[in-house]
Amino acid sequence: MKNLSIAFVIFTLALLGFSTYQALVVAPTEQTMGDVQRIFYYHVPSAWVAGVCFFVNFLASIVYLWKRNLNADALAAASAEVGVVFCTIVLITGPIWARPVWGIWWTWDARLTTTLVLWLIYVSYLVLRRFASGSQTQVLAAALGIFGFVDVPIVYMTIRWFRTQHPSPVMGGGQNSGLAPEMLHAFLWNLLAFTCVGICLIAARYVLQKMENQVEAAHAQLALRGGAR
Amino acid sequence: MTGIVALKSAYAVVWGIQLLYIWYLVGRYRSVRREMKDLERSK
Repeated sequence: MKNLSIAFVIFTLALLGFSTYQALVVAPTEQTMGDVQRIFYYHVPSAWVAGVCFFVNFLASIVYLWKRNLNADALAAASAEVGVVFCTIVLITGPIWARPVWGIWWTWDARLTTTLVLWLIYVSYLVLRRFASGSQTQVLAAALGIFGFVDVPIVYMTIRWFRTQHPSPVMGGGQNSGLAPEMLHAFLWNLLAFTCVGICLIAARYVLQKMENQVEAAHAQLALRGGAR
Repeated sequence: MTGIVALKSAYAVVWGIQLLYIWYLVGRYRSVRREMKDLERSK
């Protein structure tokens, strides 16, 4: 298992190198926006990974509430944290792209606002897990994970439901949407690379969470023994 | 902000945040390992 993990990390690093080369060198410069459009190759895959992480959190939260499985709870904690990391990247790279293209850093349009709300929901999830004490913390976190996920499809659909400042869907957005083939290749390579990074980070954080659970259980056992004496 | 400056900034943000997070995970891993060793010794 350890060798497989190391091989996957090496594969991910190689993929990252290749996808960066695709995004910065191979992909053609967009005619209207110029080089700033290349932020798209990082911004969208980060949003994708954040969405997948929150979906994993949603499923793991359901499994935890259903079976009271501690592994599911560890996976929920890991995926929420990694999701917040990628959502933070989305919220910072978006305004960096917007400043030269729109002339403003931020606007309260539906896509941007719902994404900020999504980030706040999962930050509150992490704060709850970190600072709440008592046996109900994991149950409350799981409930928040399930209801918080409602915002993910809303974020996805905002640019289809409303007229927003945010660009309309590049893919799956009707007849006038789509990417040039070279751009599409660069985008798909980055999507794959970022997904692999997300898997590596969730796996590492999951192992860490299980170790922390072990330490917590050992402390509780020691405290019980101390109390019994 | 010009396009190339924006691109470089976004690039730095993407990798900076991920590296910071990996650094945070490694720090947390070390502290848990230390705690595990202390617990084993106290047994």
